[in-house]
Amino acid sequence: MKKILALLLTMGLTLSLTACGGGTKDSGNDAKEPAAGGEEAGGEEAGGEETGGEEAGGEEAGGEETGGEEAGGEETGGGEASSELNIYMWQQYISDELIANFEKENNCKVNLSYMSDNADAITKLTAGGGDEYDLIMTCDAYMESLVAGGYVEKINFDNIPNASNINESYWTAKEYCVPYLMNYIYVVYDKEKCPIEITSYNDLIKPELKGQISTIDGARNLFPIALIALGYDPNSTEESEIAEAYEWLVKFNENVVAYGNAEQNLTNGTASVALTFDGNASWAMAEMGEDNTLAVADFKDDAVQLGFDLYVIPVGAKHTDLAEKFLNYICDPQVMASNLEEYPYSCPNEAAVEAASDTYKNDPARNFSYKENVFFQEDVGEALTIYNDYYQKLKVGE
Amino acid sequence: MSKKLDDNSDLKQIGKKRDVKRKTLPALAMAGPVSLWMILFVTIPMLFIIYISFMSRGVFGDVVYKFSGESYRTLMDATYFKVILKSLRVAVFTTVLCLLVGYPFAYYIARKPKETAAKLIMLIMIPFWTNSLMRLNSWLLVFQTNGPVNSFLQWTGMTDGPITFVYTDGLVVLGMITNMLPFAVLPMYSSIEKLNKSFLEASADLGANGATTFRKITLPLTFPGIFSSIILVFIPTLGIYTVSDMLGGGKVLYIGNIIKNQFGAIRNWPLGAALSVLLIVITMLLIFLYTRFASIEDMEVV
Repeated sequence: MKKILALLLTMGLTLSLTACGGGTKDSGNDAKEPAAGGEEAGGEEAGGEETGGEEAGGEEAGGEETGGEEAGGEETGGGEASSELNIYMWQQYISDELIANFEKENNCKVNLSYMSDNADAITKLTAGGGDEYDLIMTCDAYMESLVAGGYVEKINFDNIPNASNINESYWTAKEYCVPYLMNYIYVVYDKEKCPIEITSYNDLIKPELKGQISTIDGARNLFPIALIALGYDPNSTEESEIAEAYEWLVKFNENVVAYGNAEQNLTNGTASVALTFDGNASWAMAEMGEDNTLAVADFKDDAVQLGFDLYVIPVGAKHTDLAEKFLNYICDPQVMASNLEEYPYSCPNEAAVEAASDTYKNDPARNFSYKENVFFQEDVGEALTIYNDYYQKLKVGE
Repeated sequence: MSKKLDDNSDLKQIGKKRDVKRKTLPALAMAGPVSLWMILFVTIPMLFIIYISFMSRGVFGDVVYKFSGESYRTLMDATYFKVILKSLRVAVFTTVLCLLVGYPFAYYIARKPKETAAKLIMLIMIPFWTNSLMRLNSWLLVFQTNGPVNSFLQWTGMTDGPITFVYTDGLVVLGMITNMLPFAVLPMYSSIEKLNKSFLEASADLGANGATTFRKITLPLTFPGIFSSIILVFIPTLGIYTVSDMLGGGKVLYIGNIIKNQFGAIRNWPLGAALSVLLIVITMLLIFLYTRFASIEDMEVV
């Protein structure tokens, strides 16, 4: 009897430890995952390209401006073609079919690892271990610091002719990244259930909406909205303005029912308003099908946030040739168009949008008039601490 | 003289060797792997956490290896004090509820014949064979606005419109209790099962009624089990963040969420480490209390 009990207990304990132990060991797990993948890569690599990689690295150290391109050329020309590509990106964000086709065409193996937060990718790139990957997904807001810190490689666009399909107007740090998909953060609401009409951010703090809003989370997503509502620069670094934005967000927080999960909360009726990505709104509208009562808020003056998810090549990446082939592949209009069927997000690749199906083109989630009235997250430097402090205060409440 | 001494030391050495064979080797074989595991994966990371908590934070969210007491000064901020207080409150609340629900159940099982008891304990354990995230998600599905509970309430006419159960403190506590109940029931069960029935009979013979017997005999004798339960429920509840993240809709933050945020989105590792150290200190205090109250014998089931 005792033995059975002890056995049951240990089982229970281990199970629960794996469940709630995640908290403190989160960073550890993250660190382990790539290490496992990396070992594999290292093993197969050892014979082939190691020397080539070192050479390129050496030249770069000598003179990045002059030798950079040459080194890149040598690596792809001289060495054997890589047979493995390691990508670190968001889960549920690229079509399996696309990956499979790329593997078949290039006779290689693509290893996808997934991040759970934008910060994960930054940690990978800055705290070491970034070179375990050949492509890392991050977003435009971090590009300035990543380039300044020397964490990302210049990309040789001679090998990516398809990149010309991408709309250049919003393409920041053009030499270092290739935009993949983009996200508007806007307001979508249920025309029938929502008690008021929403045409500006200030409508979101009206008391009628108490407990009605499902919103995205994150200091740098929430504060810009408050700053715009108050008529300030969305990337303000003034503490007094951020403090005012905090007061605005306190009122907003009273109306919030949940952070995250906006698409589910809209479809199951928990929330009637959502501040969310256009991709999530698209999913919710499709889910409601014929009975869709969701509509994008018709904003008059307020700008909405536009963000890019993009690929960078981390410094020290081992399969640069294959990474560039992959980037060229996803910039192909037909390839991207079929990817968009599966993941109907906004896309900066105009040729691909043109080639996409009518369902994609007529998606009500992307049918709004103020697409040009956008702002971007910019590097706020030291002020980030101020944002984080107020964000913490906001979430702790009272 | 000198020879004798040598003999002596030889004898000692032989004795030592024998000791190594008889005691040290088996002890190493038994405790070695666990110790190694604990040192590698608990002690060293923990020391590193303590080390990091005294470092400073770089502009880019990296850890700068320069001594600083900044993180601990930040801890003094009223914000964190409030969070810790709030976490303690929820942990206490959950623990008390777990005890109130768990004790009668443990008592009931302990009074059953052994085979039935084993089956009943299985019933408690079975839900634990699924991942806790899945169990939490199922709560969300059951209680969501157009979910079965709301449909039922409206069908019976008890409410006019749907009630918002999801993302409330109530649901968070419910999630915590379902996650923690087995840890409350099992130590108490073992404690009650060990209770010598003759004490109860003696108490009855001496004229005590059921309530008095329970208060004067059963409760004090099973106290070590209750205390184990308290520790086993309280400590994980204090640090858990998944439950409040999922069932609280990210609106309610406890200390676990704050630590997770410091290591994740906010990227202030030294502060996260300092908060972890604080949590460790609280835990250690509780364990210290535990060893004071409960004797080692009663820990065997744990």
